[in-house]
Amino acid sequence: MSGEALLGFAAVCQRYEDGSRGLEGCSLSIRPGSRNALLGRNGAGKTTLLLHGVGLLRPTRGQVEFQGRPLDYSRAGLRQLRQRVGLVFQNPERQLLSASVYEDVSFGPLNLGLPEARVRQRVEAALAAVGLTDCRERAVHQLSFGQKKRVCIAGVLAMEPELLLLDEPLAGLDGPMQREFEALLEQLAGQGITILLSTHDVDFAYRWADELHLLSEGRCLASFPARELPRQQALLAAAGQALPAVLGLHRRLADLGLLPAEPPRSLDALLAALDGAAPDLKRNPA
Amino acid sequence: MLIDRCAHASPWRRISPAAKGLFALAALLGAYLAPSPGLALGLASGLALLTLAGARVPLPDYLRAAAPALGFLALGCASLLFSLGGPEGFSPRLLPEALDPAVRLGARSLAALAALLFLVLSTPLPHLIALLRQLRCPEVLLDLMALCYRMLFVFACVFRDGRTAQAARLGHAGAWRSLRSLGLLAAGLLPQVWLRALELHQAAQLRLGDGPLRFLAPNFPRARQELAWAAATSLGLLLGLGALA
Ligand SMILES: Nc1ncnc2c1ncn2[C@@H]1O[C@H](COP(=O)(O)OP(=O)(O)O)[C@@H](O)[C@H]1O
Ligand SMILES: [Mg+2]
Repeated sequence: MSGEALLGFAAVCQRYEDGSRGLEGCSLSIRPGSRNALLGRNGAGKTTLLLHGVGLLRPTRGQVEFQGRPLDYSRAGLRQLRQRVGLVFQNPERQLLSASVYEDVSFGPLNLGLPEARVRQRVEAALAAVGLTDCRERAVHQLSFGQKKRVCIAGVLAMEPELLLLDEPLAGLDGPMQREFEALLEQLAGQGITILLSTHDVDFAYRWADELHLLSEGRCLASFPARELPRQQALLAAAGQALPAVLGLHRRLADLGLLPAEPPRSLDALLAALDGAAPDLKRNPA
Repeated sequence: MLIDRCAHASPWRRISPAAKGLFALAALLGAYLAPSPGLALGLASGLALLTLAGARVPLPDYLRAAAPALGFLALGCASLLFSLGGPEGFSPRLLPEALDPAVRLGARSLAALAALLFLVLSTPLPHLIALLRQLRCPEVLLDLMALCYRMLFVFACVFRDGRTAQAARLGHAGAWRSLRSLGLLAAGLLPQVWLRALELHQAAQLRLGDGPLRFLAPNFPRARQELAWAAATSLGLLLGLGALA
């Protein structure tokens, strides 16, 4: 398994300086090209795990591996790693370095040592990917929270990483903005970028991810394909997560014989199935 | 913040900062060389008009941006014009012989002020920093400027959140409590600043930045023509002033 993994955690233990637990025997692996969601309550260790993924934290026991090889924490080793793995923090304020959008996005590719023309291409492409081309001349502090998050993502995309780590990408966004972000994540995954994101939104994780990793108290309770989630209720409860709303609804409707037994992944899919399975219901709502 | 808002709203922000910088420099020179107070005043009003009509800076904002400098200027001229102390104690007295230098100084300073306002109200600071970088200003200084500028807004944000949180818990009911709250906030801000600095450093490392902070400014596609225009106008301005002398 670890042979084919892009990023792997092998029994990683780590404590913070003040003695509080970061990770405690955490093992999981990320397949190349997959969409992964880390699910866990507050304090489960999601952020900590992502920081390990880019070598900002170091395990005291166990090891983090990239393409099967343990991370090299030397300056050159980290530089190499960070050319291939990008992290987007939860709070955009902690990541934006320049006051102007265009400049900030140019920071990474300039540090890669690319010639100016290549840098400009990459900046334009990254801004286009997150839908911010019109904002390229704006000052960062004039942007909304959602737009700042997009700038952060563009700043990382401009380095063309193979693996993108996102800490709570949907937190703090309103409903329509969350939809837009989901579309963006969809598009990035479609380009073949491997994505690992943390969330405590089980509905979103269930409809978006290929692979779910349940985190609790610094360890990974289980990893399984998202479509198996309906059969993993006990584990879900152990990680402090509720069942996705769509599953409860589906079960009732299936019990009533209105839907086939195979559960849908999202509310939209459920509605579509309902339209297809029970056309009379739709025609005659009363 | 006011200046920043104007600069980012001005349609002239898209003009190459080098062109605007050159013109502002010529105008400054013109202010210094202006042979008579009348010409300097003319230059000042011309520049003000250009900023208001050309760069579309709203008049109230313009006045508010100019007010502090104007206050200083008025004070300076007044101190030239009046003598406070006399042999018979405190008695403000107009000095007729100082009228001429005071008017000249005032008019020139107004023109110089108008030239600077023209530049800063139509050019966002990041563009100015990029221009200074082109002019080979020391890297450290520019990084500092860029970081200060960015941090200013980060702190304004932290500060505002703190204020709001305090106000929500009645921290500002009454002047005394208000002062106490402000003190608490200031004390709380310091560790936050420290933390933020560390975090930003980490973030820079993640994008492979461990040397000077290097950014690429947006392209100004018509920079060449604009610069030529600015050079021509500047030359015209200075020659005109010379001819009128
Ligand atoms: N900088 C830090 N210093 C000390 N303890 C920390 C720090 N960051 C996180 N922790 C602790 O590590 C544990 C995991 O935190 P975190 O990874 O932030 O969880 P999550 O992102 O899942 O909410 C928590 O118990 C938290 O208190
Ligand atoms: Mg977290």
